[in-house]
Amino acid sequence: MENIIVKNYTPHIRVKDSVTKVMLDVIIALLPAVLASALVYGVAPLLVIMTSVGSAVAAEWLFSAIFFKKYDSVKDLSAVVTGILLSMVLAPFTPLHVVAFGGAMAVIYGKLIYSGLGRNRFNPAITGREFMTVFFTSIMTSGAIWYNQEALVLSEMKFFGFLGNFSFLNNIDSLILKSSGAIGEYSILLLVLGGVYLLYKDRISWHIPVMLFTTVFLGMVALRIAGISVSLSMGRLMLCGIFMATDMPTSSSTPSGKIFYGIMMGIAVIVFWIFNIKNETLSYAILLMNGFVPVINDIFTPLLFGEDKEEVQGEKIGKGIVYGVVIVIAAVILSFLHHFGLVRYLLFIYIIYTTVMLARSKEIK
Amino acid sequence: MKDIISEKMKIESMKHITKKTGWIELEDPEFFYVPLSQHIGQPAKETVSKGSYLLQYQKLGETDGKISAAVHSPVSGYVTDIIDGILPNGRKAKTVVIKNDFLYKKQEGEHRKIEEVGRYRREELLEMIKEAGIVGEGGAQFPTYVKYDIGYRKIDTFIVNGAECEPYLTADYVVMTSFMEDLLGGMKIIEKIIRPREIVIGIEESNSDVAESMAEILKERRIFNIKIHLLPTAYPQGSELQLIKSVTGKEIKKGEIPSNHGVIVSNVGTVKSVYDAYTESKPLIERIVTVSGEKVSSKGNYQIKIGTPLSHVIEKVKPETGAKIVFGGPMMGEEVSELQTPVIKGTSGILFLSDAINSVKRENCISCGYCVDVCPMGLMPMKFAELYRIEKYEKLKGVNLGSCIECGACEYVCPSRVPLIKSIKEGKKKMEEMGGLK
Repeated sequence: MENIIVKNYTPHIRVKDSVTKVMLDVIIALLPAVLASALVYGVAPLLVIMTSVGSAVAAEWLFSAIFFKKYDSVKDLSAVVTGILLSMVLAPFTPLHVVAFGGAMAVIYGKLIYSGLGRNRFNPAITGREFMTVFFTSIMTSGAIWYNQEALVLSEMKFFGFLGNFSFLNNIDSLILKSSGAIGEYSILLLVLGGVYLLYKDRISWHIPVMLFTTVFLGMVALRIAGISVSLSMGRLMLCGIFMATDMPTSSSTPSGKIFYGIMMGIAVIVFWIFNIKNETLSYAILLMNGFVPVINDIFTPLLFGEDKEEVQGEKIGKGIVYGVVIVIAAVILSFLHHFGLVRYLLFIYIIYTTVMLARSKEIK
Repeated sequence: MKDIISEKMKIESMKHITKKTGWIELEDPEFFYVPLSQHIGQPAKETVSKGSYLLQYQKLGETDGKISAAVHSPVSGYVTDIIDGILPNGRKAKTVVIKNDFLYKKQEGEHRKIEEVGRYRREELLEMIKEAGIVGEGGAQFPTYVKYDIGYRKIDTFIVNGAECEPYLTADYVVMTSFMEDLLGGMKIIEKIIRPREIVIGIEESNSDVAESMAEILKERRIFNIKIHLLPTAYPQGSELQLIKSVTGKEIKKGEIPSNHGVIVSNVGTVKSVYDAYTESKPLIERIVTVSGEKVSSKGNYQIKIGTPLSHVIEKVKPETGAKIVFGGPMMGEEVSELQTPVIKGTSGILFLSDAINSVKRENCISCGYCVDVCPMGLMPMKFAELYRIEKYEKLKGVNLGSCIECGACEYVCPSRVPLIKSIKEGKKKMEEMGGLK
C-alpha cells in the first residue's frame, strides 16, 4: 500500500530567477558608484576595485576547488559582489597588496569558512575590512591612503553652483559628488539610485534602510540636543544602509524582523557614538547585528495564518525589548573592547573558532 | 500586459491556451482502471469480482467506514481483473479493471426535476450524493456527503470555489461557462441540505466574463441569495483556507474543520456532480480535464471518464516524447510515469510539460526571504529546509510545519532552488514518526 514512487517533488514550474541574477542586480546597482569613484580619482580607485574583485574571485575559486572540490562556485558572482563591496569601504589609495589580502579574507573568512554562500553569519565585505585593519593596522590608519591632491580629477560637481555660492545649492552639489571618504562614498545620489534599482528589482526591501536611517537621524538630533557632537558621513551611511545592512544571508528575513534589525542597528550606531567610536561605527553596528540575526528570525516570525495577532504580539514585543537591551549591552561591551584595543583578539578568536568548526564539519572533501 | 497569476510571484498563467476552446468528449478506451481509493479516508469495498458484468453507472465499490466514497463503473462491460493499481500520487490502490463492451447499457435510476427539490428531505438528498460517490473535485477529494452532513451546526456561508489558481488549468472555467444551469441547480440542492445563510461563488478577476454572465442570470431570475465574489488573481487563491479568508474574512487554522466555523466550500465540478446525481441518478464517472503543456498539440478541455488510463490519453492526444507528465496543476500536481495511471475524481488536468525543469541546480539558501514573502500561511519555509538538512527533525513542530498546505509557492520563487517541498513532505513524515503532526 505505502509503496510510493516519487519522481520529482512539486512544483513543476519555477520562476526564472537565480542566485546569479540576484548578484548581477547588486553589481548593476553598484556600478554608478564605481563610476563616481573614477570621476573623482581616475584610475586609482578602479585599481583598488579590480584588485579586490580579482583577489576575491581567485580566493573563491581556489578555496572551493581545494577544500570542497567544487569548481564552479565563482559562477554565482557572489565573490564579485563581495569584492566590489569591500573596495567601496576602502580608501582610494590603499596599497594594492593590502587590498588583495582583504579581498581574499573577505571571501574565505567571511563566507567560505561556513562552507559557502548563504551559510555565513557576518557580512563578508566588512569582515574583510576588519581583517585588513587588524593585520595592517598602520597602513589602514594612515591618512595618506585617503587623499592625493595630484590624482584628484574632479573634486566637486557644480550643477547648481553657477546660480551662486549659496550653501543650499552647494549642499545639493555635494549630494551629487564630493571627493572625501572611501571609494563608494563619493556620490550619495548614485548610491540612492542603486538602492532604488534594488528596491524595484525586489532584491532589498525598504524596511532595513528606512528604519536605520530614521533611527540614526533621530539619534543624531537627540545627541546634538544633549550637547554631544557627532560627525556622520552620509555616503557611508547610504552605502552601508542600502548595500551592506541588507545583505541577504546576514540580515533578517521577515518584515517585522527587518524593522527590528534596522532600528537596533541605528541604536547600536548611537551607542557607539556616545562611546566615542569614530570610523568603525557602522561596521561594528552591522557586524554586531549580524550576530543576532538567528534570534531575530526566531522571534519576529510572520503571523501564522489563523493565529490571533493580539495573542502573540505581546510576547514578540516583550522578547524584542529583552533582546534590544541585550544588543545595547553588547554594543557597550564592544565599545570598551575597542578602546582597550581588544577588538583584534575578538578577530583571532573568530578565526580559530570558524576554522575549527569547518574542520570538524563534513563539508571538506 | 502579460497574463500572470499573482502580482508578487509572476506565475505565467498559460490559461489562454485552453480557456476559449470549450470542451469535447475524449473517446473511451477499451480498458478502464478504476481505483477503489480516489478519496480521503477508507478505500471503497469492492462489490464485484473478476468476471462480473457491470452496467454503466453500476456501483463497483461501496463506502466502508465513516469517511469513504462509493465508486462506479464508467461503462458497461466485464471485470477482467482486480489488481494492485497505481494512483496519480504514486501510491498503490486496489483497482478494478473493466473491459469496455461499448454497449453503454445503463443502470437506470430515478430522474428528478430540479423544481421539485423541495419535496425531498435533506437525508434523502445526502443519500443521493453518497450513492453517487461524489468527492471534492478540486483535488482534495474529500467525500462530499460527509462534508455536508453537518448535523446541528449552523452554516453561514456556502462557498462555491470557482477559483482555479493553478496555471494551465481551465477545467473549472469550462464547467462555469458550459454548465451554468447545472451549477445553479446544484446550488439549489446543496442549499436545501446545509441551509446556509448565504451562497457565494468565488471567481477570480481574470474570469470576470463568467462573473458578469452569471450575475446577469441571477438578476434576470431574481435570485438574491447567491452572491458573486470577485477574487484577486493570486496564488493559491483556490486553496480552501485562503478562499474562505478572501470571501468571509475568517482565518481558519490548518487542521480545523471549516464547517465548525460556519463555512463549507465546494468546487464547481463537485456542485455540477451533485446536480447530475439528483436529476439523473448519475454517479461521478466522468469529469472535465484540461490537457495542456508545451509538449502536446491537441490541447483542450476533455470530458474524460474516471478510470481512463494515461496510455489511452497519450494515444489520443499524441504528445511529443520526453514530456514531463503531470496530473493536476504544475504547482501541486503529481508527476506520473506509469502509463496505467488512471484519471481519477480529483484529476483536474493532464499536463505535458518540458522536462528541462527537472535539471534544476540546487544551491545554498541565501536567506533572501522570498519564500517568507509568498507563503500564504505565514510560515518561514526556509527554516523547514534548513532543519531538514541538518536533521533537527524535532524542531520542525516548533516552526509550524504542520500548518503548511504544500502549495509550492515558496519553491516556485526560490532563486537558489532549495528543495523546500521535499523537505516539507519528508519532514512531515519524520514528524509523524516522532509522534504526530498535531
